[in-house]
Amino acid sequence: MSKFKKDSGKPAPAINTSSLPDIVFMLLFFFMVATTTKEIDPLVKVIPAQGVGVTDLTPFKQRSTVDFVYLGEPLAGDASKFEKGVAVQYDGLLHPDGINYIGRWKIAKFNEKPAEMTDPKENIITCFKADEKVPMGIIFTAREILRDLDFNSIAYSAAEMGNKNDYSIREQ
Amino acid sequence: MAKREVPEINAGSMADIAFLLLIFFLVTTTMDKDTAYLRKIPKKVETRQEQVPVEEKNIYKIVINSRQVIQARDSIIKPEDISTLNSRIKHFYTVNRGKKTDRALNYPYYAYGTKELYSNNLQNQQNRLDALESQTVIDDKTEKMIEQTMMAIQKWREKLDMMNLYTQYSGKKEMPEIAFEAHIRLESFVDTDYSAYVAVQSEVQRAVTELRDEESEALFGVTWTTMNRYIQQNALEDTPEVRQYRKHVELIETLYPLTLIEVKPKR
Repeated sequence: MSKFKKDSGKPAPAINTSSLPDIVFMLLFFFMVATTTKEIDPLVKVIPAQGVGVTDLTPFKQRSTVDFVYLGEPLAGDASKFEKGVAVQYDGLLHPDGINYIGRWKIAKFNEKPAEMTDPKENIITCFKADEKVPMGIIFTAREILRDLDFNSIAYSAAEMGNKNDYSIREQ
Repeated sequence: MAKREVPEINAGSMADIAFLLLIFFLVTTTMDKDTAYLRKIPKKVETRQEQVPVEEKNIYKIVINSRQVIQARDSIIKPEDISTLNSRIKHFYTVNRGKKTDRALNYPYYAYGTKELYSNNLQNQQNRLDALESQTVIDDKTEKMIEQTMMAIQKWREKLDMMNLYTQYSGKKEMPEIAFEAHIRLESFVDTDYSAYVAVQSEVQRAVTELRDEESEALFGVTWTTMNRYIQQNALEDTPEVRQYRKHVELIETLYPLTLIEVKPKR
C-alpha cells in the first residue's frame, strides 16, 4: 500500500506548443524595438563620464549624421606606445597618429557618401566618447582640427546619471 | 475539377526559427543609449579689426585646473561641492532680471524690449532700405548696405514676432533680454580630466535647462524639455503643433540663451 502509484501506463498529456512561436516573436519584436545596433567592437577602454540633461543621440544615429571617436587606454597592447597613454579609435582602427588623424578621417568619411545623401558639413556631429581620465588637451587639439575643416558640431559623450549627485571626478 | 486538399504546413519549427532570429538580435544589438552634450565650435573669423573686450560683468568664468579643482569667478569649489555651480549660474542669469534700477553691478544687465521699440526699429530699417534702393547708381558699396539692411529687417521682424508671442502668453508689455554679450566662459588645463570637464558642462546645462523649464512652464504650461523632445521625435513632420512648439522653444531660448565659450587650454 503506497500513496504513490506506479505509472499506470497512461502518458502525460502533451503540452500544446502551437503558441510558442507567437511568444518568441513577441520577444523578438521587443528586442528589435528596444535596442540599437552596435557600431563597432571597442578597442579602447571607456568608462563614461556622468552628467545630467544629456541629449539622446538616437535620432542623429538614425540619420547617420554622427561619427564616433573613441578615446581611452587600449584594451590590448602597450599603452605607453600612444601619446599620453591615450589611444584614439576611428571605426575599427587605432591610428598611430592618434588625434591628428581625425581631420583626414572626417574628410574621407564625408567624401565616401554620395553627395545627395550627405548633410552639410556643419550638421555632422563628431561625438567624443572619451574615458573619464582622458586629458582635455587631446580633445581641444581635435576641436581645432575640426574647426579648420568646418565640421562645427561636436558632442561630449556622457552617461545620464539621473538625480544622484555622484560625478566621478578624480581628486588629487 | 475536384479540389485537391492542401496539405497543412508543419509549423513545429517556427519557434526554432524565431529563436534563431531572437538570439541574432540579442547578440548584435546593445541596450545602452548614446547620450551626449551637443556643442558648436565657433567658426573661424579673420578680422584685422581690434576686438572690443567684453565687460567683466558679462562673463561667468569657470576654470578647472589639472587637479580637478574648480574656480567659478572668485570662489574655489571642491569637486564634491560641484552641484553649487547650478545655483551660482542661475544667480548669474537672474539677479538683474526685471530690475531697472538698483542692479547688481557685477552681473549682466537686462534690456527691455517693447512692441513700440521693435516696430520703430523695423520701420527705420525699412525706410533706410527704401532710400538705398531708390538711389540712381547702385554700386558695390550700396549693394552691401542693402544686404545688411535686409538682414537687420529680418532680425527685427523675428524679434517683433517673439515680442507678440511673449505678450500673448504672459500679458506683459516688456520682454526682458539679457545683455547679448553675457556668456559662460569655460577654461580648462591640458591635463584636466574629461570627467571633470563634462561634470561642469552638465551643471551648466542643468542650470540653464531648469531656468528654461521654469519660464516655459509659467508661460505655456509645458516645460521646455518636453517641447524639445516632442520636436525631436517629430522632426520630419510639419504639423501646426510642431510649428507652434518650435516658436515657443525659440522664444524660451531667446529669454535664456546658453552661450558657452570653451577656451583652448594654454598649459
